[in-house]
Amino acid sequence: MKSLNSRRARAILVAIAAGSLALTGCSENTGGSSGKDSKEDQKKAKEQSQGVAYLDAAASSGPAEEVPGAKSGGTVTVYQESALTHMDPGQIYVSDAGQFSNLVFRGLTNFQEDGKGNVAVVGDLATDSGKASNDNKTWTFTLKDDLKDQNGNPINSADVRHTIERLYAEFIFDGPTFLQSWLSGADYRKALPDGGFGDKHLPDSVLETPDDKTIVFHFDKPRPDLPMALAMPGYSIVPEETDTKEKYDQAPVATGPYKIAEFKAGKSLKLVKNENWDPKTDAVRHQYVDGWNFQFGVTESTQTKRLIADQGDSKNAIQFTGTVDATQIQDVIGDPEVKKRTIQGYAPYVMQLSFNMDRVKNKTVRDAITYAVNSKSLIAGEGGAYGGDVAPNLFAPTLPGYDATYDPYGRLKTPQGNIEKAKELLADVPAAEKKLVFAYANSEAGQKRKVAIEDALGKVGIDVVSKEVDSASYYEQIGKVNNPYDMYITGWGQDWPSPATVVTPVYDGELIGDGQSNYSHINDAKVQELINKAITQQPEEAAKTWDEAHKRILEEVNPAAPLWYVKQFQLYGSNIGGARYSTESSYMDITRVFLKS
Amino acid sequence: MTSPTKAEGSGSVAALDPELDATSEVAEGPKKLEGRSPGQLMWQRFKRDRTGMICAGVVIFFFVIALLAPVLTAISGTNPYTLYGQDPTFADKPVLDEFGLPLGYFGGVSADHWFGVEPQYGRDLFAMMMYGMRTSLYMAVAVSTLLTVTGVIIGVVGGYFGGRTDYWLGRVTDFFLSFPSQLFFIAFMPVVTAFFVDPREETPTYFRALAILIVLWVLGWMGMARLVRSVVLALREREFIEAAKVSGASPARIIRKEILPNIVTPVLVQYTYQLPSTILTIAFLSFAGVGFVEPTPDWGRLFAAGAQYTQQDPAFIFFPGVALVIFILCFNLLGDSVRDAFDPKSGR
Repeated sequence: MKSLNSRRARAILVAIAAGSLALTGCSENTGGSSGKDSKEDQKKAKEQSQGVAYLDAAASSGPAEEVPGAKSGGTVTVYQESALTHMDPGQIYVSDAGQFSNLVFRGLTNFQEDGKGNVAVVGDLATDSGKASNDNKTWTFTLKDDLKDQNGNPINSADVRHTIERLYAEFIFDGPTFLQSWLSGADYRKALPDGGFGDKHLPDSVLETPDDKTIVFHFDKPRPDLPMALAMPGYSIVPEETDTKEKYDQAPVATGPYKIAEFKAGKSLKLVKNENWDPKTDAVRHQYVDGWNFQFGVTESTQTKRLIADQGDSKNAIQFTGTVDATQIQDVIGDPEVKKRTIQGYAPYVMQLSFNMDRVKNKTVRDAITYAVNSKSLIAGEGGAYGGDVAPNLFAPTLPGYDATYDPYGRLKTPQGNIEKAKELLADVPAAEKKLVFAYANSEAGQKRKVAIEDALGKVGIDVVSKEVDSASYYEQIGKVNNPYDMYITGWGQDWPSPATVVTPVYDGELIGDGQSNYSHINDAKVQELINKAITQQPEEAAKTWDEAHKRILEEVNPAAPLWYVKQFQLYGSNIGGARYSTESSYMDITRVFLKS
Repeated sequence: MTSPTKAEGSGSVAALDPELDATSEVAEGPKKLEGRSPGQLMWQRFKRDRTGMICAGVVIFFFVIALLAPVLTAISGTNPYTLYGQDPTFADKPVLDEFGLPLGYFGGVSADHWFGVEPQYGRDLFAMMMYGMRTSLYMAVAVSTLLTVTGVIIGVVGGYFGGRTDYWLGRVTDFFLSFPSQLFFIAFMPVVTAFFVDPREETPTYFRALAILIVLWVLGWMGMARLVRSVVLALREREFIEAAKVSGASPARIIRKEILPNIVTPVLVQYTYQLPSTILTIAFLSFAGVGFVEPTPDWGRLFAAGAQYTQQDPAFIFFPGVALVIFILCFNLLGDSVRDAFDPKSGR
């Protein structure tokens, strides 16, 4: 041993040890308190859960109310981890493309917010939020004057018809299907196989366009939620003249305040002002900044680090649908200068432990598990108090009619699980029924959840058999009706602020099928009856029916144990003005953003 | 050994290292100097290498504490599976703050938790590390040994016999080299699991261990085989091999007595590089979702998890990190020392 003598080796060791000690410092962590902020979020949630108003023509005419202190000019940098999956409006269902859509596209209606939690629907291209017949089966929309797309072509009722008819075509497969199935039934594609590109169109008994400005929808059932459904990004207008079918996904035509200047798939996207957008016709959007510069492939951890540092270009940057990296939350909260630049609120997702009711037939077992699960430890895996909140019931705080005090399983009192109660319930249950297969996505987060579930259920005597499922196809695997698992963690968020978009897809027994989101396979006659009643009712009455359905589901059927509400926590640069949490999208309200200098 | 080492003769070694005589066993008596085997010579040289002895001690220490993990955690009174930060039964002794970071000094070091606790769940780092070292160390030793043995056998056979044997063994080596082993593993593990394990039964940990062992073995021996082949190829043209052949030694004897002792140096060096990298490979597999899963403790995964918290909770990476650095450094130095002891000329 002459090449490296022992003294030198010792020196290296000492250097390493000293270096690490210097890095760690020796400060004591006495634990801060974030409980206060949690209360604030609950107050905010209450605001969030108010009903949605449909506004008239006066409220729907532009221009939008000025943002105090707003300035024009400059380019905003947008950090986003993964690139947009779709840019064709018909294909847009996920939130990142939805945010993008609000900059580039316009639909018949749109959501308007006052910043105090009130959400309303206004007419966007339409003059108002829609005129319904008394039975809510016929809805009439009239287009505003002087509407143009980015090429200067006028937007008229033929474009609206085309937008709806193309949704029937095979190449639209990822977008929402509410409108199509309301118009033509669940098997809607058969009604118009070529998507209106040929000579065949939807008959006047379904969709009527009597003149250039008027669109009339005819439904066979009352559809009071139509204005909210039409505000979804997936129903934004695609001008007929410039539709390129499949290729439209790469180069869509803008109708909103910005248009695409440059798009490098998976890398970057540049938006510039759309000169043909007239602020006088738009009650919601602004055009303060000159452009948007999207950078894809920036991980949430990097986004957070850059925005905390707030240097150079990061001053003009925002997070798009990314959130503050869980491990860096303390750095953000700990520094008041950084904390000032955050947006907080609830995301619309309720995470729950869904039971496969075809297998776990004993309600006592389901109840016992619902009592036993440890919401606290699951939330800890998501980043602690700022990553999630204990969920006492199955309705998210963002849903109208949300009741924070409705807590049938005493979750708020014992967020770490009520072990005695669970043991008591399980006392008479035979051992065979206590062996349950828990499926988890085999990712870092999924394995964390596995540890928490095994730990909590093991304590009450449930024999948890954990099965890993490939994380990329997790929802596909557990979405199969005859899956071999007994329980799995699932999350669902509303499509618009109405329980109809939660209860119907997740708890409707008629919607059990491969790939459907009724993961628990609940099929309860009473729930069914209440769903059918509620979807035809006016919002106020419907709220009561939904509440009844919620109680029936959670207390008497119990298809899923509520675990936690996902929280939203975003950061933006110091030069960004007008940043505000959007109740509807649960992200930053991107239409109001401007640069301070 | 009729190798160059021996060719120098005991006289020359003694001339180079005069003190060797002094340290040699007195019991044997001064007149029996020629009787020492190369192994004894090596051991004597090694004993005089202070770094080598210290490193050997450290490496043995690591293996022993890994083996004694259950005993040590019984002394510390912790186990690697309890969520001390989340378990309601430990609510009276909070170890985590609202953000899931350890309370107190240096990652929550206390009388209960000697090395502090893990962020988010609050599992005991000392227990996780002891058990994790056991998993990683013994898996890595098993894998490295298996693929070293396989590589040496295939390399020696190919290199010594040459010709058609070498050609075909070479092509088989190429064939295995063309598999991207980690991708192969990711693609194959779910299939193997589905084939052998009932979908309603948990995949047993020994099954995962065995699968990791076999795949890393089958897809990992090629580097060693190539290395050994090239060394043997050069060796077999040397005079002492020729001489052995002429004197009528069988190929088996030549391989055992003439060739194997001369390839110990590169094989040892390769082995000391292989072992730490295997620890990291196993950790990677766990990240890719095909290796060990939580809560099976794993040193490599602990290290990788610690890397996420370097800014917020540096203590979490400090203990596993320092232990890993010390272990790998000592293991490499030990390898160097053993090599020097076998072949004292190489270091000069």
